[in-house]
Amino acid sequence: MSGESATSANSGSPKPPGTGRLGRLLQRSEAARGLSLLSPTLLIMFIGVAVPFGILIVMSFWTQIGFGFDTSPTVANYENFGERPIYGALLKRSLWMSSAATAATVLLCYPMAYFVAFHIHRNKMIWIVLITLPFWTSYLLRVFAWKVVLGYEGVINSALMTLGLIKAPLEFLLYSQSAVVITLAHAWAAFAILPMYVSLEKIDKSLLEAATDLGDGPVRRFLRITLPLSMPGVISASLLIFIPTTGDYITPALLGGPDGAMIGNLIQKQFGAINNWPMGATLSIILMLSIAAIALVFMFVTNFVRKRIS
Amino acid sequence: MDVVDQLGSLKEGKLSRRKFTKSLLTAGIGVATAPLATRMASAAAEDQGTFFTWGGYDIPELFVPYKEKHGELPNFATFGGSEEALTKMRGGYVVDVSHPCNSGIPRWIASGLFQPIDTSRLSNWQDVMPELYNLEGNIVDGKPYLAPFDWGQTSITYRTDLFDLEGEESWDMLWDERYTGRLGSLASGGDAWWCGAIKAGVDFKNIDTPEAFEKIAAAMRAQRPLIRLYTDDTTTLEQALASGEMVAAMTWNSSATTLKAEGVPVRFANPKEGALTWVCGLMIHKDAPNLDRAYDIIDSLLSVESGKFMINDYGYGHSNGKSFDAFDEETLQGLGLSKNPTDILAAGHFQIPQTQEWETKMNALFEEIKAGF
Repeated sequence: MSGESATSANSGSPKPPGTGRLGRLLQRSEAARGLSLLSPTLLIMFIGVAVPFGILIVMSFWTQIGFGFDTSPTVANYENFGERPIYGALLKRSLWMSSAATAATVLLCYPMAYFVAFHIHRNKMIWIVLITLPFWTSYLLRVFAWKVVLGYEGVINSALMTLGLIKAPLEFLLYSQSAVVITLAHAWAAFAILPMYVSLEKIDKSLLEAATDLGDGPVRRFLRITLPLSMPGVISASLLIFIPTTGDYITPALLGGPDGAMIGNLIQKQFGAINNWPMGATLSIILMLSIAAIALVFMFVTNFVRKRIS
Repeated sequence: MDVVDQLGSLKEGKLSRRKFTKSLLTAGIGVATAPLATRMASAAAEDQGTFFTWGGYDIPELFVPYKEKHGELPNFATFGGSEEALTKMRGGYVVDVSHPCNSGIPRWIASGLFQPIDTSRLSNWQDVMPELYNLEGNIVDGKPYLAPFDWGQTSITYRTDLFDLEGEESWDMLWDERYTGRLGSLASGGDAWWCGAIKAGVDFKNIDTPEAFEKIAAAMRAQRPLIRLYTDDTTTLEQALASGEMVAAMTWNSSATTLKAEGVPVRFANPKEGALTWVCGLMIHKDAPNLDRAYDIIDSLLSVESGKFMINDYGYGHSNGKSFDAFDEETLQGLGLSKNPTDILAAGHFQIPQTQEWETKMNALFEEIKAGF
């Protein structure tokens, strides 16, 4: 940004390592240096994110005809989204399910992160590794493991039946929205624990002591000091889970049953069996926009709340 | 593999490793919609042909002659429905051989992704039953695009001990409200929609009319609240039937045969309205990187060894007439098969190829119905 001042500040330093005209050009301004450091990432981001995104946007204005596309631009797909109830309903359901999964994950993981941050003093690394241990197996296997746990002859049902608490297996465990929420909450746990752990770990312990000295009990101390200061971790954990789970595909496909399907499954079908790629592109874009909107609102609200309580 | 084994044994106790990995594979391929992942999978043995097929055909028993010749099995990639496979190949996924069915032939050929088969390169071709390759749209300029391999029925597999049959076997069994939440169905419209047409009494000749769409959709909507699970993974359906989670499900022949072999009391129904019948076969990709191996894959699948396995272990019909010689008429009848495929295919409802627009419309509508609309 402030290229001028950076250059003048640099002029006194020894000759920069970059030689030749290009090297000197790159060294001249901080912005250029920053950009050149970023360039490999930027290039990959451009090829891997911006270009496909551009293709999606363009394609969403096309029309599928048999095996080909009618490339004259039209907003018919977006109109279609408004007209047919399935799209909106699945989108709403996905947002709802992934909010539930996010809330469950954050609530369950916060105590774990808190425990490791405040009550473990030796071998913290081992605890962190232990927490991430389930993530050493593939995502697919974790989903299958939940199928085994929740299934008709699964762990929960056989246990309850052996104990004589139920006569017939509980059928609502598997192939339901709750099965998907449970699985998502477990599968993404590490992504919640780590950011919350980091922000809890950073809290200055003397603040807590000060609060105690000034007469705050443990609950008030937690609400006034620990929680507000760990909010950045909670927010990033929430976003980190909410964004990818909304578009999740494999969990609802394997555990959701007819009532647990999410928008990701429908998008996959548009590119697969239904063979309407432009509609699939439209759905993807609408999904992205809704997630972005919700994330913005969420960040705005939490910022507002944080300012109020601190 | 260890984890897989443990999971498998946990799950069923009797579940074989092959079946568990098979179901994993089907699901895994589903996830890997990015062609890159499958490309990596097939990179294991670069010089072998790649066979892109339904889950369940990726087994050594069907490639005995191939393995004798090349020392290794071909590479496999699996799909759950042939529409999915076609879209994936249209997206640029190149394989040597794929595995469509009769209703897809004209559209698969129209996609321009396949080459006609030079039958002189197949040693088993003279034993292939002509009824099976003289299918609508298959012969172009005297050359077939599809080498028929398996044929069979889509019908109902039901537990004889749990399903209380009233009267004759019929498609009504999958619409039986007494078993709400204990019925299963294949997820792909390529099977389910056509079975819905049989149930709704729609003649396949009129399946592309607004009235037919309305009638079938009404039948499918009525069925939807009764269904526990729509899936293309036959292993899931078989396990659910074995455990009693489901009492009846729409399946292909192989599920009933497999379950019977495991001692589960099931029957593959012969519904009074007729079952859905089909022929599937092999097509060669136009850019097949290993064309010689592609012909070897097909020849291996058409061999008598493979045919015997298909009939005996999966209960499917095979295209090689000689495969049937090892079985007596009684055994074949028990499996719902015959040495004369036309008997079976004509007794049921044989799928009629439809346009791509119809497929898109049907699949979009069926997805809406499955999601509850």
